[in-house]
Amino acid sequence: MKIVVCIKQVPASNDAKIDPETKRIIREGQKAIMNPFDTYALEEGVRMKEKYGGEVIALTMGPPKAEAVLREAISAGADRGILLSDRVFGGSDTWATSYALARAIEKIGDVDLVICGKQAIDGDTAQVGPGIASHLDWMQATYVMAVDSIEDNNITVKRMHEDGYDVCELRLPAVLTVVKDINTPRVPTLKGRLAAQKSEIPVLKPEDIGADPDKLGLNGSPTRVVKTQPPEPRQTDTLRIEGSPRECAQALVRELKFRGLV
Amino acid sequence: MRYHIENKVYHVEILPPKQDSENLERDLDVFVEKYTRVMDSGYCACITDNAMGHLSFQGTEMIEELGLPVLPEQVMIHLNTFHTREDLDNILSYCVEKGIKYLLVVSGDGSERLPRLKPSDIGVQGTESITSVELLQYITREYPGKFVLGVAFNPYEPEDHEFAKLKRKLWAGASFIITQPIIEKNAVVDKLIAEYPDVPVIVEAWMSKKLHLLSDAVGYTIPENTEYDPIATLKLLHQAYPKNGFYLSLLGFKTQYDLIRDLWV
Repeated sequence: MKIVVCIKQVPASNDAKIDPETKRIIREGQKAIMNPFDTYALEEGVRMKEKYGGEVIALTMGPPKAEAVLREAISAGADRGILLSDRVFGGSDTWATSYALARAIEKIGDVDLVICGKQAIDGDTAQVGPGIASHLDWMQATYVMAVDSIEDNNITVKRMHEDGYDVCELRLPAVLTVVKDINTPRVPTLKGRLAAQKSEIPVLKPEDIGADPDKLGLNGSPTRVVKTQPPEPRQTDTLRIEGSPRECAQALVRELKFRGLV
Repeated sequence: MRYHIENKVYHVEILPPKQDSENLERDLDVFVEKYTRVMDSGYCACITDNAMGHLSFQGTEMIEELGLPVLPEQVMIHLNTFHTREDLDNILSYCVEKGIKYLLVVSGDGSERLPRLKPSDIGVQGTESITSVELLQYITREYPGKFVLGVAFNPYEPEDHEFAKLKRKLWAGASFIITQPIIEKNAVVDKLIAEYPDVPVIVEAWMSKKLHLLSDAVGYTIPENTEYDPIATLKLLHQAYPKNGFYLSLLGFKTQYDLIRDLWV
């Protein structure tokens, strides 16, 4: 199987700052990490490769420093990484981003499966995975919590929803977005990390993937952000329980029962 | 472990580089330098396992990938319950192959990113989670006679509870004890030594001036403005515990290492 895992570099901090002019997240000066949901997508891709054979390619779009998440992906089991990086990509919304990623996936060729995290923790849109499927005109399953089987060019997955899950069968090639219930990502080994440092990461520009520049960046982005602001901090009540350990435990249980939590 | 006490072999804690190291090459070099220094001094290098839940590289892979020498009396690997069964067996098999016999078995702090052993992974029934007791049982059952197993003792926990837990750990196969860091003579540690005269007790000395880190480590608040001289404290602990071994946590290799050489007399 040839599997592409789409990953995104996001700010590590929950304390995201937003540019009042552009309404975009300010990334400069922020420590960057791999989007946590993408670590589950990567792990699932690597597990499939280990089970069925093939190759896992990590793909990202971003500034040159986004190369770091590709190396991290290689240290966690991806075979290689590809970075889409050019000024023309800058300012792309989810539609333009998924267009660019879809063109890159076509350029890679013979891809059987694309796996994405369900959403990125900075934008929180959950639109890029479905956008890729739409641009490629492939089947898709979102919020996948388990991959049951891959047989006869079909993949069977469990798709999580509020009341349980759906079992879905998709013909390959297909796009999956996964939730964190799907696996526990492995911790990269030192051997993997050292190998990743030596890997060559090709950097592709719009012309390398046959992308139309008018469909990229701000020009290709129909989204207009009218207003963005961080959510209000959650209101929490604090109850301090004092007394002996036994009294505290009894009071805690009483309180939890009173609030219908146990 | 008696050998270490009789021959005044310090246990020197060494932390492997963190997974998110921004300069891995430099951090690996520092690790090699510390490890080599400990070996050359005849001390025992004690390599932590994701200490405080910080994702770090494993001690065994550090030794393997960096080609570090293993002197059986001079290496101790910490092992906690936050591993897959496969990783656990890889670590234990590597230790057997390389002659690493000292393991400090702890429950561990864990992290969202680390998988925790499940009871079914190691054939345990009747419990919902794995602690150091079940891990000790697994190691003694699957690797009989291969390891000398140690456990932690926390004098800051409720005493009855901690002693009951220790009893289960010793029953499960532990043969030496390392205390949580202390900064002065401690009544609970005194009681521990008195109750288990035949079990080697290694006293952990806190070698950092940053006492707030000790508060985080032991869950016991030490006032911020407490004056603290780690070397002077180590001298006092030697006087207080003349028949015990010593584990040095967060030892400063640049400023303190040369000073400890003549302390244990």
